[in-house]
Amino acid sequence: MVHGKGVLSSLLWIGFLLFFAPEVFGDNLSCLICHGALKGTYMTRAGLSVSLHVDAKKFAASVHGDLECTFCHLNYIDNPHRDPEEGIPEGIVETGRAIAGKSRIDPVALAACTQCHGEIFEEVKKSVHGANIFVKKESDGAFCLDCHGNAHEIVPAKGIPGGGGEKASPVSYERIVATCGRCHEKKSVSLKYGFSTRIIERYNESFHGKKYHLGGKNLPVCTTCHGSHGIRSHQDPKAMVFGMNKVKLCGQCHKGANEKFVAAITHKPVGRDNPIPYYAEKGLIVLTFCVITGCALHIILEGFASILWVLRTRRRCRDDVRTTGSSLPGQ
Amino acid sequence: MTSEQPDRPFPGNKVFPAEVERFDLHLRIQHVIMLTTFLLLFFTGWALKFSAVETSHAWIRIWGGPKAAGMIHRVAGITMLLDGLYHLLYLAVRFFQGKLRFDLVPVWKDVVDFFQNLRYFLGLSPKRPRFGRFNYLQKFDYWAVFWGIFIIGSSGLALVFPTKAALLFPAWTTDWIWELIYIMHSDEAFLAIVFILFWHFYNEHLRPDVFPMSWVWITGKLSIEELRERHPLEFERLFPEVVPGGGGEGKKQE
Repeated sequence: MVHGKGVLSSLLWIGFLLFFAPEVFGDNLSCLICHGALKGTYMTRAGLSVSLHVDAKKFAASVHGDLECTFCHLNYIDNPHRDPEEGIPEGIVETGRAIAGKSRIDPVALAACTQCHGEIFEEVKKSVHGANIFVKKESDGAFCLDCHGNAHEIVPAKGIPGGGGEKASPVSYERIVATCGRCHEKKSVSLKYGFSTRIIERYNESFHGKKYHLGGKNLPVCTTCHGSHGIRSHQDPKAMVFGMNKVKLCGQCHKGANEKFVAAITHKPVGRDNPIPYYAEKGLIVLTFCVITGCALHIILEGFASILWVLRTRRRCRDDVRTTGSSLPGQ
Repeated sequence: MTSEQPDRPFPGNKVFPAEVERFDLHLRIQHVIMLTTFLLLFFTGWALKFSAVETSHAWIRIWGGPKAAGMIHRVAGITMLLDGLYHLLYLAVRFFQGKLRFDLVPVWKDVVDFFQNLRYFLGLSPKRPRFGRFNYLQKFDYWAVFWGIFIIGSSGLALVFPTKAALLFPAWTTDWIWELIYIMHSDEAFLAIVFILFWHFYNEHLRPDVFPMSWVWITGKLSIEELRERHPLEFERLFPEVVPGGGGEGKKQE
């Protein structure tokens, strides 16, 4: 069952934990003795391959490092772990069932986020991501961990206070575009929900995206315009980016934005359905190609002519030497 | 074929000046502004066009980060536009003084010259075309900049002041105008850079007879030998008394 190897290293790790851990890990010690050492993947009863490893150090450094394991893992308050859903608040059990598709190991622990983050949870439920899970019962709407990363290593979006590490969180300014791209660039997801696979590419090609990738600060990233927990489809009239709601949105940075201005950012690829820019671009590519080729040919031909000139002059020079004794070419 | 002595390269009794003025001070200043702003725009804009390339990030840091580089780009762009206005004003003044010659305007002879040059290059004809004050290479260079400033400058202004530009656009253009402006600015600038690197650098720097560069842009003067060699018709126009014998054609036939 265990694919992970290295019994010796596990024993050493346990020894290490027993030695130093009490002050660091507090009541979580008894869990981390095993889960800190459980490396590799394990097969669940349902036949899923999962990892049960918790990096104790990273957990301690995360925003939830002070919480006890059982604060979220409500099912697992004793060892061997007892049967799920016994004596757990009803709401969490219910949420846990609804999001079962989002967690391979412990949906209850994922549902436990709502214990503290209830308001955000309500926002997520109403969002296009949340509706996909709770209404459409799909498993690929983004939920807490899809964006915030490993449950045991969640750090604040703005980085660890005083500890640098601005890029530590997947939802940090520096990483949010790539994080959204993990699903929104995926072909399977895009085809399923009918959105373009080139959204992120088109953002990267926009002036916002270009400046962002060159290291610019305070630029609009995905969440700036589309929202985060309460994100809505651009076809939803309540969305910040729906139709003329954009006038207000863009106006936050671009004073005096009007409805003609906000048409600038669409993230749509330029295709034949937009013939003017499409053929303008093709035309410019052809023009550039012709200019480069034409100039290069002209230059090469001129070089060729110079070589011919030298060869001819030399021949005439030889003739001149033979007839007049002068080696000056021509004049 | 040629019988001139090396110390008296020109026939006739006229005392020739050693050189003729080709660009006056205004034109030289315009050119210096043009080349400075062009390079600044090239250096800062290139990284923006290829922002997805890893090295662009480091390159932009040299220019003080994206914000500073953007500011350099805008200031240089507006300076270049003002330089263009300076040039137009200069042309207008010359026109009203009656000194403006329209010999930069492309004419049918340029097409003829081009094909004659090709024939010469291919060894099909021993004669090089005889150019006037500006040959078709130089006209191409000049009008490319003219066209480039118009296209890139106008789209650039719209990108710097997008909310103002939006007031000017008719409502029916909004579905494509922004993409078009972006393409005009970015791709046309790419074309301009490539063109300068190939055409201008070859013709004014790398050609064996001007290497490392033609100094006209600093001195404004072209030596009389070069003028006769490369712009024989202009030479004959300036010094008509040497024309009857066929002027400076002797060397061309080598």
